[in-house]
This record gives sequence, structure tokens and C-alpha cells, in this order.
Amino acid sequence: MSDKLTVSMTINGHTYTADCEPRLTLADFIRHGCGLTGTHLGCEQGVCGACTIIVDGRTVRACLVLAVQADGSTITTVEGLARGDELNPLQEAFWANHGLQCGFCTPGMLMSATEFLKANPEPTAEEVRECLSGNLCRCTGYDSIVKSVLDAAQKLRA
Amino acid sequence: MTVIGERVPRSDGQTKVSGEAIYGVDYAEPGMLWGALLRSPVSAGRITRLDTTAAAAMPGVHAVLTAADAPDVHAGWVLRDQRLFATDAVRYEGQPIAAVAADTLAQARAAAAAIVLEIEPLPAVVDLVRAMAPDSPLVHPGWESYVPAAGPDFPRRGNIAAECIADPPGVDEAFARAHRVISDEFVAQRQYQAYIEPKSAVGIFRDGRYTVHTAHQFPYNVRDRVSQFLDVRPSAVRVVGHTIGGGFGAKLDASLEPYAALLSKVVGGSAVKLVNTRTEDLLTCPCRENALTRLRSAVDADGNILARELEVIADNGAYSGEMPWLASIALHCARGVYRCGPTRVVSRLMYTNTAPTGAFRGVNGTYLYHAVERHMDHIATELGLDRRDYRLQQLITDGAEMPNGQVLADAGILREGFDAVESVAPWAELQAGRRPYRGIGIGAAWWVTNPMPGTAVVKLHEDGTVAVITAATDNGSGAVSMGVTQIVAERLGIPPTDVFVTMPDTDVAGFDAGSQGSRTTRIVGKASQLAADEVVEKLRGVAAGLLEAAADDLEVADGTVRVKGVPGNSIPIAEVAVAATNTVGPVQGTGSFVTPFPDFNPGCATGLMFPSFPTPTYHVHLAEVEIDPVTGNVRVLRYVVAQEVGRVISPDGTYGQVMGGVTQGIGYALHESLRIGEDGRYRERTLESYRLPLATDIPRVEFVPLEHPDPDGPFGAKGVAESPVLLPAAVIANAVSDAIGAPLNHIPIIPEDVLAAIQGSAGDVRSDEEVAP
Repeated sequence: MSDKLTVSMTINGHTYTADCEPRLTLADFIRHGCGLTGTHLGCEQGVCGACTIIVDGRTVRACLVLAVQADGSTITTVEGLARGDELNPLQEAFWANHGLQCGFCTPGMLMSATEFLKANPEPTAEEVRECLSGNLCRCTGYDSIVKSVLDAAQKLRA
Repeated sequence: MTVIGERVPRSDGQTKVSGEAIYGVDYAEPGMLWGALLRSPVSAGRITRLDTTAAAAMPGVHAVLTAADAPDVHAGWVLRDQRLFATDAVRYEGQPIAAVAADTLAQARAAAAAIVLEIEPLPAVVDLVRAMAPDSPLVHPGWESYVPAAGPDFPRRGNIAAECIADPPGVDEAFARAHRVISDEFVAQRQYQAYIEPKSAVGIFRDGRYTVHTAHQFPYNVRDRVSQFLDVRPSAVRVVGHTIGGGFGAKLDASLEPYAALLSKVVGGSAVKLVNTRTEDLLTCPCRENALTRLRSAVDADGNILARELEVIADNGAYSGEMPWLASIALHCARGVYRCGPTRVVSRLMYTNTAPTGAFRGVNGTYLYHAVERHMDHIATELGLDRRDYRLQQLITDGAEMPNGQVLADAGILREGFDAVESVAPWAELQAGRRPYRGIGIGAAWWVTNPMPGTAVVKLHEDGTVAVITAATDNGSGAVSMGVTQIVAERLGIPPTDVFVTMPDTDVAGFDAGSQGSRTTRIVGKASQLAADEVVEKLRGVAAGLLEAAADDLEVADGTVRVKGVPGNSIPIAEVAVAATNTVGPVQGTGSFVTPFPDFNPGCATGLMFPSFPTPTYHVHLAEVEIDPVTGNVRVLRYVVAQEVGRVISPDGTYGQVMGGVTQGIGYALHESLRIGEDGRYRERTLESYRLPLATDIPRVEFVPLEHPDPDGPFGAKGVAESPVLLPAAVIANAVSDAIGAPLNHIPIIPEDVLAAIQGSAGDVRSDEEVAP
């Protein structure tokens, strides 16, 4: 077997250091190594978007990145959005607008929308749809998710 | 203050947006091992060599199992035609042949790959028509030895896994005197449920019993299947449910659970976890069956349908699952919702060397309504009638008798549905606004609310909150996290946030028939309402002593027990609960509910396993589409739904089901397709080639709920969730055909077919019209 490599990264404000196989994906490192199972795996080939996280300010598919590539980086996962028990406005908006059903795609949707709203604080519905077109949802038909993101944008501007 | 029909936050919202929710794939146990399956790489063949010696010696491996290690039994939901592992023959790509347990997932997969497997390939039975031919190879040469899981045997023979035939008198006579005979043939593909959470299971053998942790729509069915495969009594299996990342019918039967359970037993009791890769999941999922449907109608000069013939040949795949039970749905959909003379129906389910098919939201109905509503357009067009007017002219009304003899007392709701759609999208305006490459389509349906049993216990805590103990599953719809929660809160006069519903556990909660057929809000909601009624009675009994009033004069409302008409004379539920606990004992109530099947004529058909449609609902859909004549792409511009729901319990939940169901239907109409090669293997292998609808593809659905409360339902509720998927393929195909002026009778309607139709060289040309002599 290949030699393990030591990686260290900051996830949601905590530093995680571990020895891991060079081929371990960042998604598996986060889920199994750090116990943060909110990052979901739906396809493991970058299509569904459920594992979307933010690495050094940009969204990535955690299934397409190796843990060793993220060495030294600063990461936010869905567990890092709330402040303690207090949900952030985007999370509140998804809950209030029925922007989720089974909820499996939700963490990826939230992370994609987080990055998007930072750059686009006043988006149109079409722009939101474009932003979310890389995240698959099988339950909702997307309409309530679009509504949630628009609602959050409004609250964040206020 | 009522919470019925009000927007309430779903009770699982906090955990789902925070990432705290533990889904089936997240579940883990101390000391857990990982499993992997060796699956057949071919669709048909004979195993000539299977050697696990090298695999068993690999690092970290605890066990390697094959058919020799499993009980010598057959199992199955309807027909016991399946073994846990292939023994001699392999019958579909992906069929399990061996299972491995190891310390890590990588070790388990490496060991599975190291098993020596040699298969002598055989020709695959794939084509549905050829499968029926007398000289076709049999998928199951030993079919006669299979027995039903329960009840009497049903019509089946050779490659015909199930058959339902209705042959009433007068059909041939009507065809002989018809003004015109109109015929069509329709082809529908397989559709993958494509829930985003792949299937998984954790099995534990401990204290002589099996425990299975899984995210499942129907935990009690998993219990039964594991008990069949492992040859133990059902109570020797405990199934614990976890948050489920979508199912849509594909998680109604067991999948990985019996393998995880058996592996745990063989390794000495350590928990063993199995998780499908997306490709394993897609290849072995009980997807919506492909089907070939032929329709023939004898009509008079006014368009009255004097008689009809419907023949449907549907693909069962290699094993039966739930499918034989569903073959008779063709009888219930054969006329759609229109008046029609005697109707001959021949519905056959064919074994093939492909992955077993199964339930997908709107079982069988999607392609049957596609056929029936395309055919209605064809008749109207042939007779020069307006397509909407023709439907209204032929629409069934109150008291209509369906082909199975079931009488629909409230079928007049359909007319309201057409009116509701008209109020949102006036047909004449849409026609007047026609532009090149734009088209409109309309269609209607009736459907069932699954009647199967459910039960609930409502347990009062001493702080005045309640737990609802049930094996029902919220698959995401909100049927539990809103619907059942609201119903109990309403009955007890407490806020929905004071109602906590358990996750399913077959050791704890009574039998529940699972999240299927839009049943949960109605059946489990009603059972929970009855359980809450018992709690109310007990509260009044105890409070009568505390308030020095007669129990009959008391009501439970606003978090209190109070004297009717004297709101000041009240006592908080929590105080009554404490008093009760210390005097008569803890308070809880139990409720059970099942809907009886409506009366039907048992002699109307052979093989009638799904005899009638309990709690019928009615549906009218309209679509407007635009076609890009250069690329052949179809865009849905508008989509309108009018749907009978009984009573809206949760507006968010109801609209969410309509929006989500229509979206799945649009995908089915336009691009979702599991294509089957001549070798029986799927061409699509991942979510990259299996194209799901995206946020940019789908318009907001315009929805009008029709409310005719059902006196038997909880606060009038009927089923909602399943039916929105029934009609999109029908009305979109009608709209595209309208836009092009040529019939498109195959789904999905892919750009190549659209371009071919535009160029007048369509692959599926209009079928020949026969004129009576």
C-alpha cells in the first residue's frame, strides 16, 4: 500500500490534522475522517452537486478533490453555516419556503447559493436558476429552492 | 385556531438545513465492517467457475459469501422467484453473485474484484414481443415451481410473468359497425427514480436476531423480505429507519438489506455496512418499466367511442418484485376518464434479461395515460373536432361505471378540473395566440389513494407534548413532518412544535404499508387522529375530577382542557397529564386505519390483482410548449394543474408534490431514459448520461387545488403526492404533436425525433386508419 501523507486543514473554524491515503477524496476525509456527514455524496463523479463545499472562498465538489490537495486550506461545509443553534438567513429561508423535501441535495444547494449570493446580492430568478443548474434536486422541481434563495437575498440586503 | 390548511415549518427542517440529519448512508456502528457485492457483468449466462479462495485470503477480509452460504430458498414480494445470490444462471447485469465483508470499503471492493468468476454468455431475452414467441428462450425455465408469497397463484406462463385480460361481450360487433376505427401504437422507455441518496444498509446479527438500519420507504416490507431470504420468521428481523434521501418507489422493496444482515451473521455479529455506488444503484434499481401499448377505438360519426381495445406489454425484468400486482392497472386506465363502450384489455408483463423493474410514482399510469390521451387527440383530429371540446363531450360524470364495475359517485369533479384549468389558461386564447413551433396539449386522469393499513400510538408526555409512534416514513414529502404532525396537533389543540413523530422501528411501531401511493397523510394521518381521539377522551375523564365538571361538558383546546363555553374554567394539558400519570396511569391512545377496496365486478377480468381504485382523485393538466426547429429541443413554457386533493392539509406540502411530480413527468416526457442495448445492458451508467431535469429546464407550475373533503379522511384529506406525474408525458406529447402537426408517439420525445417529424420523415409515423366497410 502507498505511504500515508499528513494533511491539515481548517474546517468550519476547527483544525483537522490526519494521516491519509493519497487517493482519499476530500469528501471522504470530511465525512469519515472528521465525522461531518452533512456533506452528502450522490454520484461521486461531480454531477449531482450534493457534496459542494467552499474551499478558500470558492465552491468545489468534494468528491472530485483529493484530501491532500486541500492541505492547508480553509473550508466551510454546511455544518459551518449556522452560528451555534442559530441558522443563517439562507438556511432559514430554505426551511421557511419549503426549499427542501428529502433534504439530501440541500447542503450542496446551500453552499452553491452561499457563494452565489456573495457575488450577486440582488439576483433575478433566472440568475438563481442558472446558479443552481449544477445541483440536482429530484424532489422539489426547484421552484421552492429558487424562492428560498431570492428570499434570503432580500433578507441579507435588509 | 386551526393548523389544518396552514403553512407550518416542517419538523425535520432544522436538521436538514444544518447538516445534522443522519441519512441511511451516514449511519455507522462501533466496530463496523464494510461490505461489497460481486455482481454479474452480463445479462444472461451460466456460471462456469466461481472461486473465492484468493479473495478470502486478502488483507482485512472477514468473509466471502456465495449462494452456497445462503439458505436454499426463493423470496419475492408477490412471487417467490428470486434467490439471494445467483446459483447457476445469471439473469441480469448487476445480479449479486457473491458478497464480501472487510475492515474497509476499499478492501471489500478489492476482494470482490479478486473473486474468480467465469460466465458462459447466453443470448439475452430483451425484446418484449419476441419474448412472447413460443420459440423464445425462457428467462426462468423453472417458472412453474415458483409460488406466490401469499394467496392463490395468478395467470402466468413461460416468459409471461403476469397477465390480466378483460374481454367483455360486444367489442367485435362494435368494431364491425364503426364509422371509423382509429389505431395507435405507443412506446415508453424506462425511467430511473434517481433519488440523490444511493441505497445503503447496515446489518447486525445479535442475540439470535437480525437488525437492519436502512433509509427506506417501507420498513415492514424489508422485514418480510429479509425474513424470506434468510429463512427466519418475520419477528426475527428488526428494521430501523433513518432519514431518507428520496425514493419515489425504488425504496419499497429490500435491496442491500439481506446481504448486510447475512454478512453480519457470518462474521460473528459485527455490524456490516453496504453502500451502492451510483452505477450499481442505477443498474439494479427497480425503475419504471418500459412498455409497448396498442390502442384501437371504434367511433361513430360524432366521436362516441363504441368500443375499445387496449393491449399493453410491459417489461418485468428478470424478477417480479411488486410488478404482477400492478398489471391490472391497465384495466383502470384503458378508457381514461371518457365514456366508452365495451373495452377489451390485454395486459401482459414479460420476463426479460434486464434489471427487475418496479414501482415508480404513478405506477403504470404514466405510459397508459400517455397512450390514452394521445389517442384521444388522434380521434379528435381525425374527426375534425376541437381536442378540448371533444374531451368535454366524452367526459365521464357522477355515477360513471368503470371497466371493473367500480362506480365513481364524484366523477363530475373532472368537469370542475377542466373549468379550473380554463380559468387559468383559456383554451381559445391559447389557440388564438398560436405561433409557429408552439403547441398546447390537455389531458385528464383519475387515480388511486393507496388504501393499505397503518397504525399509530399517540403518547402524552407529562409536559403536555406528545410523541407519535408509527412506522410511517417521511420520504421528503412532508406527509409526516407536516401532515401527520398537523393532524395530531389540531386534534389535541397544541402547537405542531409540541408533536414529535418517531422514526420507523419495526420492534416498536405496528405495521405500516410504507410511503407509497399517496397514502401517508390519509392513512397514517387518520390512524393518528383516532389515536389522538383516545387521548382526548382520557384527558377529559381525568380533568372532569380536577375541574369538578362532567366529562361530556369538557373540550380539549388551546393547550388546555376546559369547560365548553366557559374558557376561564380550564386546566393546562400538562397538569392533566401529570395528574393522570399518578392516578389512572400514563395517557396514550392507539389508532389503526385501512381503506376498504370499493365494490367491483370480480368477473370483469382474469388476473385482477389490483381490483379497484380506493379514494379516487381527479386530475386535469395543460401544457404549452415551444420547439426550437434548429436543435429539436422542446421547452415547456407553461404548465397548469387542477387536482382533486380532498382537503389541503399543508399548502407547502401539496404544492411541493405537484411541482416535484410534474418535474419528474417533464423529464420522463423529454429526456429521461434508461436505454437497453441488445445485450440487455443499460446504455446509461451514471447521472452524467442519465439526464435529470435542471433548475433551468422547468417552469413554475400553475396549480389549482380542488377540494371535496372525504368524510373518511383526516380532516377530509385524500392522496396528493403520486398523481402529478401521471399526465405530463401525455399533455407534452400532445402539445409537441400540435406544434409540429405530426404525431409523436414515443417517449421520451428527443430532439432527433422532433427534427425528423419536422422534416416529415418521422420515425414513428401516424398509424394506418382503418375505415369500416
